[in-house]
Amino acid sequence: MQKTKTPAVVATFVVCYAFWILLTWSFAAQELIVGAVVSLLVALFAARFFIHAKAGWLANPAKFFACLGFWLFTFPVELIKANVNMAKICFGGCKAINPGIVKVPTAMKSDYGLAAVSNSITLTPGTITMEVAEDPNEQRNYLYVHWINVEETDPQKAGEAIKGTLEKGLRRVWE
Amino acid sequence: MVLRIVCDVFFLVSLVFALAGTKGIIKMPDTFSRMQASTCVSTLGVLGVVIGGILYAAIAMHSASAAIKIGVIGLMIMVTNPIGSHVLARGAYKAGIRPDKPMETDDLGRDFDE
Repeated sequence: MQKTKTPAVVATFVVCYAFWILLTWSFAAQELIVGAVVSLLVALFAARFFIHAKAGWLANPAKFFACLGFWLFTFPVELIKANVNMAKICFGGCKAINPGIVKVPTAMKSDYGLAAVSNSITLTPGTITMEVAEDPNEQRNYLYVHWINVEETDPQKAGEAIKGTLEKGLRRVWE
Repeated sequence: MVLRIVCDVFFLVSLVFALAGTKGIIKMPDTFSRMQASTCVSTLGVLGVVIGGILYAAIAMHSASAAIKIGVIGLMIMVTNPIGSHVLARGAYKAGIRPDKPMETDDLGRDFDE
């Protein structure tokens, strides 16, 4: 188990306090003080589970704007495209499907990068990440993705079709 | 009046996708495909209602707190939904559930079932 580090506690505290303020949305002194005390307690106990890498990585402006740009522009476009495809399949009587599980290589190395790319894949309709595997010999990570309509069985091409745009955006943030 | 129409358009888009997802859940042939269809409901099906609700709460009701709470609900669904889908699909696969019609490729079965 990791040791609790001070930057991790501060980062967890900031996240907890931001959520407290968003949920209560009242700026009376007593609300703010209770929120700070509760956030600090939670941060002390939970920081070592919540932060696994450097706590201040998002403080870098280039990464922050890349992150914002990805979640506000790149990802919604992909989401809407995938949703329209899925809706077409569903209204067309669910006949035009060809499900399968493909293994695709990913360029992500860090825990956060892997989590971000696999959860983005799961969130787009039509693809679900089933398993993440590491290959110690090749130093590469692989994702097993359930795909509703398998167009490519070649790992490289399938990877490009499933997550090409997503990974390009995410690599600017995490790698 | 214009605001009301804009909100209704968002709700309508969301309804269309929720309907598509629901139809998929009922008509799809196997567990994993049904799960894929359900993602439709929890992404655009929720986002449309959330955006419409935020606009309505912020502009028509003049209530910043209601708008922010709706936003937090949307954010929470977006963050928790992929983890739930992933665990359900993985659990179903590990429990031995396979589609009746063989899948196009099954790399997971090839690599892990000996």
